[in-house]
Amino acid sequence: MSDAGDIKGRRNQPPMTQSQSQSATGDTGFAKKAKLESLLSGYQRAADAFDELLAADNKVLPHYAMLMGELESFGPTELSRRTDACQRFVHEHGITYNVYGDPRGMERPWQLDPVPFVIAPEEWHALETGLIQRATLLNQILADCYGAQELIRSRWLSPALVFGQPDFLRPCHGIHVPGDTCLHFYAADLSRSPDGRWWVVSDRTQIPTGAGYALANRLVTSRILPEPFRDNHVHRLAGFFLAVKNSLARLSPRQAERARIVMLTPGPHNETYFEQAYLARYLGYMLVEGQDLTVRDNHVFLKTLSGLERVDVILRRVDDDFCDPLELRNDSILGVPGLVEAVRAGNVVMANALGSGLVQSPAFMSFLPGLCRHLLGEELKLPSVATWWCGQKAAREHVLKNLDRLVVKPAFRTHLNIADAERDELRKRIEFDPDLFVAQERVGHSTAPVWQKDTLTPQPVSLRAFLVADGKGGYCVMPGGLARVSPDSGGKFISMQTGGSSKDTWIPSATPVEELTLLHGSGQNVELRRTGNNLPSRLADNFFWLGRYSERADATSRLLRSALLRFNPERTGGALPLLSPLLQTLEMQGQLPGISKKPELWSNAEVFEAELLAAIFNPEREGGLRQTAAHLQRLAMLVRDRTSNDMWRVLSQIDDRLATPRPKQVMLAGDAVGILNQTLLGLAAFHGLARENMTRAQAWRFLDMGLRIERALYLGTLLDATLHSPDAENPSLLEAVLEVVDCSITFRSRYNLLPTVPAVFDLVLLDDKNPRSILFQIKQLVKHFDKLPKERGDTASPGKTILANSLARLERSDARELASASNNWRESELAATIRDTLSALPQLSDAIAASYFAHSAISRTGREGMR
Amino acid sequence: MKWEVLHRTRYNYATPVRDSFNDVRLQPMPIPEQTVESYLLKVIPAVRLTHSKDFYSNWIQHFEISEPHSHLLIEASSRVSTHWPAPLPDAPLCPFELMQGAPNIERCFDYLLDSRFIEQSPTAWKLALDATVGIEDAWQCALALMRFVNGFLKYESFSTHVHTHMTELLTDRRGVCQDFAHLMIGLCRALKIPARYVSGYLATEAASATHAWMEVFVPGHGWRGLDPTHNCQVGETYIKIGNGRDYGDVPPISGNYRGTRDRQMQVEVRITPVH
Repeated sequence: MSDAGDIKGRRNQPPMTQSQSQSATGDTGFAKKAKLESLLSGYQRAADAFDELLAADNKVLPHYAMLMGELESFGPTELSRRTDACQRFVHEHGITYNVYGDPRGMERPWQLDPVPFVIAPEEWHALETGLIQRATLLNQILADCYGAQELIRSRWLSPALVFGQPDFLRPCHGIHVPGDTCLHFYAADLSRSPDGRWWVVSDRTQIPTGAGYALANRLVTSRILPEPFRDNHVHRLAGFFLAVKNSLARLSPRQAERARIVMLTPGPHNETYFEQAYLARYLGYMLVEGQDLTVRDNHVFLKTLSGLERVDVILRRVDDDFCDPLELRNDSILGVPGLVEAVRAGNVVMANALGSGLVQSPAFMSFLPGLCRHLLGEELKLPSVATWWCGQKAAREHVLKNLDRLVVKPAFRTHLNIADAERDELRKRIEFDPDLFVAQERVGHSTAPVWQKDTLTPQPVSLRAFLVADGKGGYCVMPGGLARVSPDSGGKFISMQTGGSSKDTWIPSATPVEELTLLHGSGQNVELRRTGNNLPSRLADNFFWLGRYSERADATSRLLRSALLRFNPERTGGALPLLSPLLQTLEMQGQLPGISKKPELWSNAEVFEAELLAAIFNPEREGGLRQTAAHLQRLAMLVRDRTSNDMWRVLSQIDDRLATPRPKQVMLAGDAVGILNQTLLGLAAFHGLARENMTRAQAWRFLDMGLRIERALYLGTLLDATLHSPDAENPSLLEAVLEVVDCSITFRSRYNLLPTVPAVFDLVLLDDKNPRSILFQIKQLVKHFDKLPKERGDTASPGKTILANSLARLERSDARELASASNNWRESELAATIRDTLSALPQLSDAIAASYFAHSAISRTGREGMR
Repeated sequence: MKWEVLHRTRYNYATPVRDSFNDVRLQPMPIPEQTVESYLLKVIPAVRLTHSKDFYSNWIQHFEISEPHSHLLIEASSRVSTHWPAPLPDAPLCPFELMQGAPNIERCFDYLLDSRFIEQSPTAWKLALDATVGIEDAWQCALALMRFVNGFLKYESFSTHVHTHMTELLTDRRGVCQDFAHLMIGLCRALKIPARYVSGYLATEAASATHAWMEVFVPGHGWRGLDPTHNCQVGETYIKIGNGRDYGDVPPISGNYRGTRDRQMQVEVRITPVH
């Protein structure tokens, strides 16, 4: 039967021009049914859960019908192909999630299921109304707790519920917030019980995360399923983010057009750092850390290379109690001292307001129905999962009676660990300190189709919905949300930390939807700009070291490659000494520690080879190539929101290649040379991207300065070691030097003779046309220094003076003098010049750090105890 | 009685520090029991001061110094006249039933909970019960606890530091006035008597210094000061700066800066009676 259907289906369409969306709608019902059975043949709806796809009679629900029809027309093979494309997109966009305590560490790829979660429009409308009501209610409760406290005085809220919470921030009491809005962003976790009703499982009011992931999911899903996305008229997310932008701009104490809005992040180690960087980029805000901001005279400023720039609105992704080490947690290193005072003075606005974590406690849930009637004069539309706060006598009795059936949780954010507590112990603890506990009814999850192992299977889902205050007293709901899938069908909790997956959420519409974009329309006049936002000093620091480490990796690879290539086990003793300047250079930089003091190595080929390989692959070797690559990776992550995805990918590959775990197989010198070659190509790609794709702004300038300083250091060390070698004049040693600095071809085209010291040193030290000569590096640095922002006072900067001296010294050296110099290279003027340059470079690096990156740790003011 | 107080704190840093943000809580509280006639805060390097009231009605002066500096001087001088009420007798004044309503009295609630340096552990609860066996009255319990703490802890300078927690005192059994106050507050809270920490000055003939004591809430009589270090009720030689849940809420100077931790702190307090 299915054969017949297939044939019939094919006959209806010309085989070569068949487009997938046409086949979805143009196919006969006959064929559709047959294929649907094949996609859903393994789909067994659970008896004890609501199923999002199938009704009780196992028919596909109407709002899923169009999507399923199109998926079925793709067939399993095509769907699997698109699933692969989905994973590729996730990887290429670097969508990641950090998992704490994971041995694989940071940057776990985000899990996305290709089949979207569809919610019927009329059902969504009801959810929307309920969510808006809930956000409005929570906001009013917050405003009261941090203001008049009428609810406490009139016994609607128990003082224990408010004052007992660590999330009630006393210093924030009495702070006026614009428009009485504390809750600018709100998210709710929703789940559906077996009877099909939606319940709020938890409220997110501190830092509602996930909107960025929802956006990323949408980006990927709409690309891999373009036809169903179009045909279903899925509501766009851009409108929500436009509301976010408008809402934040309206908060600014200064004119909205001039407002500077920043996103405050705890840093790249935070679990949702990807999302922060992604959202900041999408919304057009600068992503800053606490140390990038400073308070002066109760105003908040961003520290940039060219001075302080005022900040008006802070979109915060740092927990509120970490925001100010002066008035809040004084052990915080993530915050900005004096921030609370600046907020109090009304010079900066935080979103969400400081202290908004208060109503996130599940204990509030049991008070919401009453408070809703009291404050809004209406019934609570969207129920919370049944919750009892043990601080109330009747509730406590109910909980103690039904302890087996209920889930007991800490009422407040604490370190209280009750996950493994026995029932009797739990009972005692509740009786001893009832305020600290809540109990909740268990909520089931509904199931939705997930594409797994070439078939659709039902798995538990929950939905996180997102709201933003519209600045006019109301809220705007993101049409969609982040659907999360539990990996096992019996899952009680759904969490990305424990390896769940996610889905895009679609709200289909009967008619085509309005297309919105966050980019300005063409009708607007745009002020043309040639400079971007000013670079925060912290990022300048990171770019500088990115440059230094990339060049360090390059130089190390070149030195090691030349050493390995020249290394011939058959010629022990004879050939080795000619490598010594190379090895000494590696030793100076830490790759081969103590090699010159271990002469026994020089005669033992095997040990020697092992030592060279360790410098490449050993992750414990300080300064080894492997560690340098890891540093590069780390720095690339720190500047990720300022560099292109291509740069990120290139650097990740370098690290991956060196880190590939190798089974016990013997590593041959030849294999290592191959890997070094690939590493050098990767670095060349990185430097090429930097040179060709970065605008000549401050970020690029600092990257290049780092690179120049590091290159000059390596060149200087190598030349110095060469002059000090007894074989300084040996052509094969000079040949090796030329190879390391990539000048062999140039040399041969200039001189038709064996390398000599004057000729080689002229090329590598003094030739300012050679991008690998020391003078070239110094001249580039001088150019960069002229373009750097002026320091305060505008006196000659120490860095500039150091550079001027080095330049003068090098330019004074005359190549002809080199030619006539004696054979005692070690004592020559040449050697002295190189040594002076070498000693100037670290000073230069320090001077740059002191002028532009200066940041030091926060210390606490000494405290006087009472006697 | 009228007093003049000079409180000078000097910090010397080994290398210049900058971005120093500080909150100063040295202004005596204007309350019926004392009249603050004048208060002046001097900070060198000279900066602009802003002031505000915190959640516990303490006055705070806030200042920031962004420029590099190697010395910081904070000098508070105030003139205060005190007129504390006469001590209450050791007699039944407040049956425990009256205390039932205490958590609902505004702002009392905070003073019944654990706080940063105070924890109502089962051990503390047992100590408090043992110390008040047979006493039915909350006020008399508080007095009994004061006598108990005064005997339980041994006063020993420098035996503890600013951040010593109350539970450490239960085993070490020695401390300074701040620790006496913390322990007594913990024991009172264990019996559900609202108790708060007070920072201030005590003028004695031997020495004038900063001092810490505590207050309990007695319905009908308000907050009453008790000094467990000296085992007495607060009188005219006590000058109150502020109150909070514990030391953490009312440190005289708190803040942070960027720069070296290598520093010295000198504190000088002079209290003189004015006639």
